[in-house]
Amino acid sequence: MQIDALPLSIKYKIKYPDEFIEAVKRGEIVATKCKNCGSVYFPPQKDCYNCGKNEMEWIRISNEGEIMTYSIVSQKPQGFENYEDYIIGIVRTKDGINLMAWIKGQPKVGGKVRLTTDNMRIIGEVVG
Amino acid sequence: MARRVAVIGVGNSKFGRRDDVSVQELAWESIKEALHDSGLSQSDIGMVVVGSTAYRGIELYPAPIVAEYSGLTGKVPLRVEAMCATGLAAALSAYTAVASGLVDIAMAVGVDKMTEVDTSTSLAIGGRGGNYQWEYHFYGTTFPTYYALYATRHMAVYGTTEEQMALVSVKAHKYGAMNPKAHLQKPVTVEEVLKSRIISWPIKLLDSCPISDGSATAIFASEEKVKELKIDSPVWITGIGYANDYAYVARRGEWVGFRATQLAARQAYEMAKVTPNDIEVATVHDAFTIAEIMGYEDLGFTEKGKGGKFVEEGQSEKGGKVGVNLFGGLKAKGHPLGATGLSMIYEITKQLRDEADKLQQPLKKYIGLVHNVGGTGHFAYVMILRR
Repeated sequence: MQIDALPLSIKYKIKYPDEFIEAVKRGEIVATKCKNCGSVYFPPQKDCYNCGKNEMEWIRISNEGEIMTYSIVSQKPQGFENYEDYIIGIVRTKDGINLMAWIKGQPKVGGKVRLTTDNMRIIGEVVG
Repeated sequence: MARRVAVIGVGNSKFGRRDDVSVQELAWESIKEALHDSGLSQSDIGMVVVGSTAYRGIELYPAPIVAEYSGLTGKVPLRVEAMCATGLAAALSAYTAVASGLVDIAMAVGVDKMTEVDTSTSLAIGGRGGNYQWEYHFYGTTFPTYYALYATRHMAVYGTTEEQMALVSVKAHKYGAMNPKAHLQKPVTVEEVLKSRIISWPIKLLDSCPISDGSATAIFASEEKVKELKIDSPVWITGIGYANDYAYVARRGEWVGFRATQLAARQAYEMAKVTPNDIEVATVHDAFTIAEIMGYEDLGFTEKGKGGKFVEEGQSEKGGKVGVNLFGGLKAKGHPLGATGLSMIYEITKQLRDEADKLQQPLKKYIGLVHNVGGTGHFAYVMILRR
């Protein structure tokens, strides 16, 4: 016989870098660059695994990009049930950084996007 | 110098929605079968490794519960977890213990009871199988989405079609229908796959593995023990490879294959001193149909970009160049994450012993391969087995 198990509710708090969240609110996307060896990190990180130093500077990422691939999400997971179908894409920026974004507009592989934000996440608006 | 290690016993529970059992009862089904298959009892086992992802079941720490229920108390030092490749990660741990001389006989048990939560919760847990902080949190990635990103790119770069992906599903369901332990036992057509509900385009319901409960067990022994126990059909592990890749999928820089698989395969082939052309039967990680197509390519069964053609030409069918997923694959047999890799060892062991009945691949060299991918290409394990 199956009976209800005790419910388990887990609440988490997670830490994002202030600089990243503030940039997103300005509609900008930023990465970190190691002042010592020049390694660039996206997602940004404060420790450089290449040279072992932790002196990073924030750099702005180009807002011009190309759609490398995408998928349209119909079956939504917990936490996203109330969203319309959304398009998740991988975009390569003009300066060679690959990042995840929601795509607005008609996507195609190789299509150009202008990167912006919706105050929370990165958005790639299709421009051609 | 590492000792030679053989698989001397395997067990596989019935996969599917298993409301009839608890996780420990489910584990016991395959443990009992593997003990019986090897002719051993619990007291012969020097170490037990439990592979389980656990997050979808009520037992978040299943190893001691499984051990207690199965009479293996005192033998279980650890639980291992490598997402969908947990089964082979457990196998690697048990293999290593025997190869190093730490123990003469080790058991790896893989078990997951994934249907204890609803589908939306399961999708949310799976979606966190990427990089929660930078992917799921903002973008609502689901597990099918990650594979869909690879499918879209593979289609754009190589012209792979949704029909070719559907053929992987058709093949899996055909064999699943012949495997009484499979979760899904109903054949499907290309048209049914193409018309099935879109989950994360271009991945549809029938491109996706089901959410399954199940367990599988393998027992590993040293060469000395194989002789002492007079095991008449040992299956030798002749090559093992393992590798990983970036968690943040965008960073990987290419999305037409898994670098982790390519690296793991190279390592396994070198260790076994064989080439992809020597492989006659294989399990390829087909959580989604595109995964099997990329698997053919990454494992070297065919050139990069020709995976769609490989299935179209029937080269991965029973009797083809490499019989792939002849027990139904993850797609139809099911994919209880912790059990999958060990279930793959079960299948290839049965094949190499000529015990696969209607699903038997005709073999000449008796060389098989097991390929288990963790996460969205985060980990890959490849194992080469020989009779």
